[in-house]
Amino acid sequence: MISIADLKQVYRDGATTHAALRGVSVEVAAGEFLALLGPSGCGKTTLLRCIAGLTEPESGTIAIDGETVYSAAEHINVPARMRDIGMVFQSYAIWPHMTVAQNAAFPLRYRRPELGAGQVRERTAEVLRLVHLDALADRPAPALSGGQQQRLALARALISDPKVLLLDEPLSNLDARLREEMRFELRALTKRLGVTTILVTHEQAEALSLADVVAVMDDGRFMQISSPRDLYDRPRTEFVAGFVGRANLVPAEVIATAAGGSAQWVSVSTPYGVVECYTERPRAAGERATLAVQPEALAIVPAGGDLHGAVTGTVEGAAFIGDATELVVRVGDTVLVAKVATTDAPAAGAAVAVRIRAQTCTLLS
Amino acid sequence: MKEHVLARPRRRGGDRSFVVTAGVLVAIGSALILCLLAILVVQSFSSSGNYASLITPTVIRIVLNSVELAAIATVVAFFFALPIAWLVERTKVHGKAAIVSIMLVSMLVPGFAIAMGWLFLLHPQIGLINRLSAAAFGPAHPVLNVVTITGMGIIMGFQLAPVAFLMVSAALRSLDYRLEEAASTAGAPDIAAIRRIVLPLIRPALVSSAIYVFIIAFGTFDVPAIIGWGNRIFTFSTYVYLTTNPQAGLPDYGRAGALSVAVLGAALLLTVWSRYLSLDSKRFAVVSGKGYQTTQLALGRWAFAAYAFVTVYLVAGILLPLAVVLWESFLPFVQPLSAATLHVANLANYNAIFGDAFFSGLANSALLMAVVPPIVLVFSFAFSWIGFRTQLRGRALLDGIAFLPHAVPSVIMAVGVILLSLYGLNHLFQLYGTIWIIVLAYSVSWVSYGTRMTNSGLLQLSRELEESANVSGANTWATVRTIVLPLISRTLSLAWVYLVILAGRELTLAVLLTTPGNTTVPAFVWITWLNGSLTRGAAATVCYLICLSPLIVGYSFLLNRTRRSSTAVGSPV
Repeated sequence: MISIADLKQVYRDGATTHAALRGVSVEVAAGEFLALLGPSGCGKTTLLRCIAGLTEPESGTIAIDGETVYSAAEHINVPARMRDIGMVFQSYAIWPHMTVAQNAAFPLRYRRPELGAGQVRERTAEVLRLVHLDALADRPAPALSGGQQQRLALARALISDPKVLLLDEPLSNLDARLREEMRFELRALTKRLGVTTILVTHEQAEALSLADVVAVMDDGRFMQISSPRDLYDRPRTEFVAGFVGRANLVPAEVIATAAGGSAQWVSVSTPYGVVECYTERPRAAGERATLAVQPEALAIVPAGGDLHGAVTGTVEGAAFIGDATELVVRVGDTVLVAKVATTDAPAAGAAVAVRIRAQTCTLLS
Repeated sequence: MKEHVLARPRRRGGDRSFVVTAGVLVAIGSALILCLLAILVVQSFSSSGNYASLITPTVIRIVLNSVELAAIATVVAFFFALPIAWLVERTKVHGKAAIVSIMLVSMLVPGFAIAMGWLFLLHPQIGLINRLSAAAFGPAHPVLNVVTITGMGIIMGFQLAPVAFLMVSAALRSLDYRLEEAASTAGAPDIAAIRRIVLPLIRPALVSSAIYVFIIAFGTFDVPAIIGWGNRIFTFSTYVYLTTNPQAGLPDYGRAGALSVAVLGAALLLTVWSRYLSLDSKRFAVVSGKGYQTTQLALGRWAFAAYAFVTVYLVAGILLPLAVVLWESFLPFVQPLSAATLHVANLANYNAIFGDAFFSGLANSALLMAVVPPIVLVFSFAFSWIGFRTQLRGRALLDGIAFLPHAVPSVIMAVGVILLSLYGLNHLFQLYGTIWIIVLAYSVSWVSYGTRMTNSGLLQLSRELEESANVSGANTWATVRTIVLPLISRTLSLAWVYLVILAGRELTLAVLLTTPGNTTVPAFVWITWLNGSLTRGAAATVCYLICLSPLIVGYSFLLNRTRRSSTAVGSPV
């Protein structure tokens, strides 16, 4: 549905230049939900704006549903208004001088000029029902709450039935509870409509919970494009491991490969003991690599438990975050971050034994 | 959801044609402004003697007079503006709307009306106050003589106080009060917070508004013409008028050009400096569109002093001079109010001015008020659009060009327009002597004001509001029509009404460009005055003020309402 090849973009400010996109390529299948995840300034919003046609790249190609909408070589740059897209902006960009219904119906005027007034009314009512705003259709738009504005922006983006829906940090201006609610709603809605969706976010929880595929970006490049599960469990680089979750990066040495050599499980030795972990490519014994250990992969050995393969340390700090507690555990001169159920959490200052759970970690490439 | 068949929009145009249209307007506007300045420079070298002829004791004294006049006017303007701005922005004084209205009205009342009033009051021989004192203490001691540089400077200061007020209060308002609170929480006493935080932050705004006021004062015609002319006290503006409209002989445009270029150079330097200062202040990024709830001081018993101060300004700046003008308009010649003069008061002056000249002046002024604001705003919008919505190289320079007329004193602008029409445009079409030369002069002069307003309008508009229209399928024309213009309509209507009033009250530009065919009402008043019919001029002024007053009141109302509901509106200067 969306095919992007070797897209480059450079921002110039006087004599200084800043490469926002350093040649990115990605394919998004029809109906797929892709999240662009990365820290601010990584180029994810630039990429979204390039797809929308709001920013012109330097080079590369963009095709939507088989039609080339941008090609530097062929001098094609279809303006935003002629790309078959809907977009939700970070600020929602609700027009304050219009009512809710006028805001929602606006794209029909230009994208579906053939519709009569009756059909426009019908379609507007339909899409407002979809986002539960039908009761507020005649309200002036500024009278809406943040969450309602967000839904109105979504309705406006969907009303002309675009092939592609672009979402620029749509949840970042909502409070935490509303954000979680909208997360489920957004996922359900896009899946029900079958619209191909691209979401830009810097919140890993948002990307992981919403998307079918997550593309992690840094400094204008894709670092990894994977399913949310793989991204979390099997990061490829230190950046991804650190950005998605808060993985502990542990030096490791391969000591034994499983039978067949191509198998994906290897044993590595680490300062915290020997552990069986995942590797994407075959490894030779003796090879050194970094092991990504998510905080949940660390188990606190209960008092009197089996200490085999565990190391002892001291809890330097414990942060209660509700359902779980994050521990900072000092082992020798290194520090590990562990996340445990609050009921099992030792107090700060306690001496504990920690073990890396088998088959929960990934060897970085 | 049912499937919709995608109907691809057929027209691909509409983005480029908008940019091209805006670009053409900007090119025309820039070309006019640059040609105008270029022709001034070229003409000033028309004869080798032009510049040499300026080095005479007369001209040097006139320039020094003008500097003194402008300096006094600036000091007086800030003497009133600073306390009143502080009162409105930072205290809990009641009746702020009324105080703002007083300032706005006194800004909008034509300057020549106020000047007339004070001349009637304080002329050394015929001034009402001086006559009363002469009757009491003997004729040798006029109490106060307004026909001096100091006198004119003070009166000009009254008129420029509102301009300074608007600039200072905008600076005070845009200052984030949290910066002061941060200073307080850091342990600084209030005085220290003002001295170390507030003053440094608004100093660039203060200096640049002082420069602005100084330049206006230097080039304004009203006060020195009405008060100084009869006693042959010339300033820069009246001297340029004299050179281009000599009582005997031919107009000497080369000499006027040379004098203008010399002054223009100085004015431009000052303006560039003040613009640099205001850019510098933006670097601090304390100017924001958010309406801060500022911490406000309760005045307590001092409120009485505050009201007294504003009342002094109201009486001296508007009420007293206008009352005197009204009174004198019923008399055959200038006389004080007494039982005896009450008997000679009649409507003869009014009957005399209600002739063809006044009515054709009224028609011309009405035409200017109708035509100039839309022209200025269309050009200004084009300039702002190119500046803020395109990536055109050199767009900052274009904005600077649109700002250039801001630095050009009105008399110089008028001389430039005359030269442009006589030596440039008149080859194409007859401009000189028609109302259109005045339309041109007003439009070029005020495009710098217009662009400040349209700039602030576009700046306060988030780009995403337009982008979401683009993504919705609207082209640039449609986006501007359905999103941009409705959203900046408040700024635009404010600018529009202000321009209507400017076009109505402008004397300086009109008087230099006026010929029998294109006389405006202010020019008519001036000509009547020049011919010696002082009270008849007063009558014409009264009639005209009555015509303008609905606009003045309407504008004050509009701006007051806007100030209360949002702070993101540029001050009308």
